[in-house]
Amino acid sequence: MIKLIEKIEGEAKLNFSFKEDKIDFVDIEFLQTRSIEKILEGKNVLDALVINPRVCGICGHAHLIATVEAIEDCYKDIKISNKAKIIRELTLNFELIQNHFKWFYFTILPLFGYKQAILKAATPSQLMGKAIATIAGQYPHTSYAIVGGVVSDITSMDLIKVKQYINETIRFFEKNMLTTTEDILDCNNIETLLTQKGDLPLILNNIFKNNWEHLGKSYDRFIAFGENSFFTKGKSLKTRRFSNISLGEVEEFSSKNSYAKNVTFKDTYFEVGPLSRAIINKIPLIIDTHKEYEDSIVSRIVARVYEIPQLLNHTKKLLNQINLEEPSYIQPKIDIFKIISSGSSAVEAARGSLIHKVNIENGIIKKYEIITPTQWNLSNGTRKKLGVSQKAMIGLKDEKIAEIVFKSFDVCSVCTTH
Amino acid sequence: MKQKMKILWITGLACNGNSHSFLNYPYLEQFLNDFEFINHPLFESAYTLEEVVSNHIACDILIIEGSISSELFKADLNFFEFIKRYSNIASKIVTVGTCATFGGIFKESEYKDISGLHFNTKNLLQNFADIRHKTISISGCPIHPEHLANTLYAIKDKILLQLDEYLRPKEYFAYTIHNGCTRNEYFEYKIDNHQFGKKEGCMFYDHGCQAPFTHGSCNKILWNEVNSKTRAGQPCHGCTEADFPKANLFETKKNMGIPSFLPFGVPKRTYLTLAGVTKAFTINRLKKELFDD
Amino acid sequence: MITKKEQKKNDIIQCSLELFASKGFYNTTIPDIANALKMSVGNMYNYFKSKDILAKEIIKFISSYLGKKLREINELEISTKEKTRKIVEIYFKIALAKPEMIDYFLRIYLSNRDVFQDGCEGMICVNEFVTEIMIYFEEGVVKGDLRDQDFFSAFGLFMGYLGGMVFLKGENILPKRLDEYIDDISFNIYKALSV
Repeated sequence: MIKLIEKIEGEAKLNFSFKEDKIDFVDIEFLQTRSIEKILEGKNVLDALVINPRVCGICGHAHLIATVEAIEDCYKDIKISNKAKIIRELTLNFELIQNHFKWFYFTILPLFGYKQAILKAATPSQLMGKAIATIAGQYPHTSYAIVGGVVSDITSMDLIKVKQYINETIRFFEKNMLTTTEDILDCNNIETLLTQKGDLPLILNNIFKNNWEHLGKSYDRFIAFGENSFFTKGKSLKTRRFSNISLGEVEEFSSKNSYAKNVTFKDTYFEVGPLSRAIINKIPLIIDTHKEYEDSIVSRIVARVYEIPQLLNHTKKLLNQINLEEPSYIQPKIDIFKIISSGSSAVEAARGSLIHKVNIENGIIKKYEIITPTQWNLSNGTRKKLGVSQKAMIGLKDEKIAEIVFKSFDVCSVCTTH
Repeated sequence: MKQKMKILWITGLACNGNSHSFLNYPYLEQFLNDFEFINHPLFESAYTLEEVVSNHIACDILIIEGSISSELFKADLNFFEFIKRYSNIASKIVTVGTCATFGGIFKESEYKDISGLHFNTKNLLQNFADIRHKTISISGCPIHPEHLANTLYAIKDKILLQLDEYLRPKEYFAYTIHNGCTRNEYFEYKIDNHQFGKKEGCMFYDHGCQAPFTHGSCNKILWNEVNSKTRAGQPCHGCTEADFPKANLFETKKNMGIPSFLPFGVPKRTYLTLAGVTKAFTINRLKKELFDD
Repeated sequence: MITKKEQKKNDIIQCSLELFASKGFYNTTIPDIANALKMSVGNMYNYFKSKDILAKEIIKFISSYLGKKLREINELEISTKEKTRKIVEIYFKIALAKPEMIDYFLRIYLSNRDVFQDGCEGMICVNEFVTEIMIYFEEGVVKGDLRDQDFFSAFGLFMGYLGGMVFLKGENILPKRLDEYIDDISFNIYKALSV
């Protein structure tokens, strides 16, 4: 039976096959494409800084950062000030945070019978939007990160404003999502978390009540390519970690029936996203959750929501590290129109690793490749070799619970159908 | 209990940026008391997408986001059919975003004849001509949330809006992005030494800023209530205009030193005369940094 | 319809130009000019409060005069090559018919910057003329006929060349009449500036 899933930043069709009252295969179909990689060919590479955020309305900022880093990688020895690096990481974090809030309050609540909490999604998102806009002019769709740094000449008053937005968002999180008796960042124990107040424990307890806590398990295989001051790159097979991974072994290929392409690393499907990052980063609470619940929907939900306070706390630290005396922008020594080179980048977007690769000839794009996190998680494999989310849905009793598992990956249809 | 106006919000080839921009509307709670969505890309709605395409559901306003094509399908219904059906049911149509209005970035995607609802870049289309009288365009990539919210309230309160040639409310689109930019003085006195990463300087001369010839209100109603691209140091890329995106967006095209595109309505001779006059003088204050000791 | 006052101003300017050309700028005084027009010196000062002010008004007058002629050429629907020729032609025509005008520009305006520095900063007093040259260049580039380059490189080439020829004429060095050089000179200029 075919189920049209909507409100996943677009739509997708899940074609379920049942055998003995259980799902024995799911075909995932994405229904349209905007051919952005083709649109980029032949254009001035700097125009990609304006076009690429429009891949996605909710995670376009990640595309901006991935774009500017891919172009800078073409230079091989370009200088970016530390100030510009930190600022870029700051605004990207703000986008991750508002993505997670939106996913929880728009997508997760209704799956468990609760009304969508639009204002609970909008309030912290607006705060994070203001934080980004204070630095980058507006949100969504800014192109403030340019080759050589950032355009913004921020002041200490700007940083004070940004800090206020972060603090307000922390207060909002603590009041609504998770109210803990001790510091949330010291929480290492899933059992303790379940006893606290807030919308997160509410949903988790709902999962336990329905006996769904072990559903949605897949390969328990994780990967993350983006590296910054908070995330490290690497892969993890269950909890066996390896740090040596290379973009060269990532392969993208077309899948039957769908406009979305599949992605593998060394010919293997991997999960990306907050759970993946937390396992690789050895975050105590998530390691504890994973011990008991492996890569089930519980672990995915906890990992995603828990990234919010971690990132909010980390962005405050980053603010203090900014040295305003440094230049925001350093003009590259070589004119982009003289560059014939290729470059690539990987950033951690809200839903997982986002990879950009570009080939330029005299400043004009010859080829551009974008691999989005949802492509990783939702690769449409075959019965013989299932994709990550496909495996997670096999064996489930009905399409309603399958939808919960599907959405626990936080799907972005527009990204996937770029 | 007062009746909420019913809106159907559909998306063609879109990134959903307009939906997410609209989430930044500060008075969303009040808005949701006054309007309800029979379907929306993000919000829970009374009907699923499949129910909407299989029926004729009553609605007052049809909102279209994203570029359109006759080759596009939504929940197995041809998108043009979808638009035809609901534009007959709704009494007002709003195209939200530059894609839905003019075709935008995705007009180069690989479907047949991609365009906005009534315009393909600057060209008026014959398609859907019969519903043009019902349409209001709100261009922008993305739209400003206030533009949409206030337009919907105007529709609700039956206020007749003055529209420009592209059906955009003059309240917002009669201005240029240049109005209200904090870098105006550098423009006025033709100080063309802008460098990125500096709060001083005007980006029109060398760095591709299209603000003087782009319609919109970014520097009048700020973004996210706090800022704008040009104030932050990024040139305006003309995202509300019919031909967005142009090419080489970070450079100012010049012909023998004279910018190709001049501020709206300013004749070439006028511009050059003024430029000649101001270039003859040095204004020391504007040559220094703003926070100079 | 030009007013009587404006007409009088133009007469004064024309007379001043002729006297400056024949006697020299510094040797010509306001009383000299007043005398030649059979005006009282006091009346002269009603029109121009000082010789410096007169000097600046004259250059603006010339710029306006030349600017109007160039504008007419710019507005013709002809090729850039033909426009180039017409500009050279009109410049040389004026040089022949009103030598005092071009003479003023070359020998007085360009050579006595101290007179003009206050009130004629930069190119503001020759604005109308320069604007038309800018438009000729810009439209040539837009049409794809002229090479896009720095404005001043092109300006220097065009104006330097024309000015140079007029200067040589003034020194009586040129064997032929000025208008006999129009073909070669417009060819050279167009060849140098074109794509």
